[in-house]
Amino acid sequence: MIHLPKHETKLMVAVHGWSGILLGLLLYAVVTTGMAAVFAEEIGTWSAGHVSYQSAFERPFADDLRRLSAQTPAKYHEGADLFEMGDHDMGVFFHRHETEPDGELVSRGVYYQLGKDGQVTDRQFGTGEEIFGPRNDTALSSFLVDTHVRLHVPNPWGLLLTGILGLSMLVAAISGLLIHRHLFKDVFTLRRKANPVLFNRDRHSVAGTWSLPFAFILAFTGSFFSFFGTIGVPIVAMAAFGGDVQALNEAVFGTPGKPDPRPVAIGNLDRVATDSIRRAGDVPTFMTIENFGRADAKVTTFHAPTNGGLAPVSLLYDGAKASFIATKPLIGPKPSAGGTLAAIMSPLHFGNFAGLLSKAVWFGLGFAMCYVTFTGLKLWLVRRAAQARSLDWLDRTVTIVGLGLPFALVVCAAAFLIALPLGSTVYWTPTAFLIASTTVIAGGFLWPTSAGFSRLLQLATAGLMIALPPLRLLTGGPGWATALAAGQPIIPALDVAFLLAGGWMIWRVRDSRPHRDSDTLPSLQAAE
Amino acid sequence: MGRPMSDRSRKWIRILFAGPGAVIIAIVVMAGMALWLPRGAAGIDNLVLPLILVPLIWAALFFHACLDQRLARVAGVALVLLVVHGGLVAHKFLDRKPASVEPHP
Repeated sequence: MIHLPKHETKLMVAVHGWSGILLGLLLYAVVTTGMAAVFAEEIGTWSAGHVSYQSAFERPFADDLRRLSAQTPAKYHEGADLFEMGDHDMGVFFHRHETEPDGELVSRGVYYQLGKDGQVTDRQFGTGEEIFGPRNDTALSSFLVDTHVRLHVPNPWGLLLTGILGLSMLVAAISGLLIHRHLFKDVFTLRRKANPVLFNRDRHSVAGTWSLPFAFILAFTGSFFSFFGTIGVPIVAMAAFGGDVQALNEAVFGTPGKPDPRPVAIGNLDRVATDSIRRAGDVPTFMTIENFGRADAKVTTFHAPTNGGLAPVSLLYDGAKASFIATKPLIGPKPSAGGTLAAIMSPLHFGNFAGLLSKAVWFGLGFAMCYVTFTGLKLWLVRRAAQARSLDWLDRTVTIVGLGLPFALVVCAAAFLIALPLGSTVYWTPTAFLIASTTVIAGGFLWPTSAGFSRLLQLATAGLMIALPPLRLLTGGPGWATALAAGQPIIPALDVAFLLAGGWMIWRVRDSRPHRDSDTLPSLQAAE
Repeated sequence: MGRPMSDRSRKWIRILFAGPGAVIIAIVVMAGMALWLPRGAAGIDNLVLPLILVPLIWAALFFHACLDQRLARVAGVALVLLVVHGGLVAHKFLDRKPASVEPHP
């Protein structure tokens, strides 16, 4: 239990409130899209109707890769990245590291996408960032992830912005802990018969207290990811390597060894893939080859955490001989405290260390965080409603963002499903979001009451959620029987989730109707 | 003995240390840590740990500036961290030979 003196407690309450009110709405947007992005892969499968189940790494690809390497200029053989794209197709990116005139380090090269028959279905030249933008079958999940990672603000500013939001969440979490005089009591205190302000304060407090450790972890890991490349790496490289970012990357991520540039054909990568699946117990999520076609070629395969572990697994192979060398830490050539800590940042942030179960827990705790942020903003407003009538605009803004964002995201999903067969999802997914957002903003300020508008938004969101599964089927998506037969239960599971979520929202709105005419706290009803 | 500082001045100094001060000092500490932290078994701890710890360093500086009743201690801790780590980085740069005579690998 933490007992701060009265003055410090008052200060912490102010810090907690202002850290939320100044950046709370943007933070809410980041947390909401992050909550959805926990299931980005599954949403991608559901929305695009992917029904393949065999990984690209389980099919032979070594001969295709040799053929592609012969077509690719040798200067781009410095590295080759292999990963799954689309419906378990294979993506291959031959590249080299270059420094742009503005000092930015980029990977530039040739990207190929191979269909299941090994034929090239797409070929592009450019930097990693140019090539790996949204595509017709990934536009929805890419939109979610981009909103979460950088709020669609160009880099580095977008990452800096979300990093600052992460720090404000860290402040809110720590100050939230410090202002709890009775932490354990608060965890279970829910005065249902108290007045609405107290009841809502209790709900905010209970949800916030339960999710405090999670909020801390998310804020810490999120700000780490945002500041890592934008500020951290250049500054540490400046201090340790005189500004040479490539040298830092080599030291941290590279595979040490004596350079041997003699040309030697790459070994049998099918054998590497099969062996890595046997050793790690799962298909690789990623495979990278350093010095393709040289005697010192090294292959690293990356796998999701297995056997209850938290850190991902990576295996190192001799590229020329296709022989196993060692199990390698994700970061650094040997196990170390720094490497292990850095390796667990990703699973801690994305919640992907124990499959769907951990993702579901992360989703649920993310929902609690959204609830805490939204109700916190509402409580802040209610406490000041008596003194400042001019805060009505802020109350409306909170409703617009708090309930309008989920609505706009569901509109986005509907637009994606309609545009998918037309091949225009890359355009229509963000456009639909903009149209929905503009409509919500206009409606939010023109509607007579904030409470009435919030009910309308919730009903519209619920209706759209219920409409998504039939819309998916109408636009050519696979039926439940087809999906289950193809080993993709996630498609019917997400259909059911949307139907249940829509039904639950309608029930909640109907249930809250008797309280909505309360004269005392009209603006608080939206927080429910 | 000088005149005691007004509450208003104290408040602004505290805001300075909790706001821009905490950001600048956290960044300088991150840079300096890379030069004194042990390299560890893999030779990367001094490079990776500052990157991981910087949000926590910032938070510690922020809450220290908010909660420590003794403003002199807030300023002392912050300035010592700034001077030590800034000095380490400056020493590393001053100690480096000119680029033209640096041997190439």
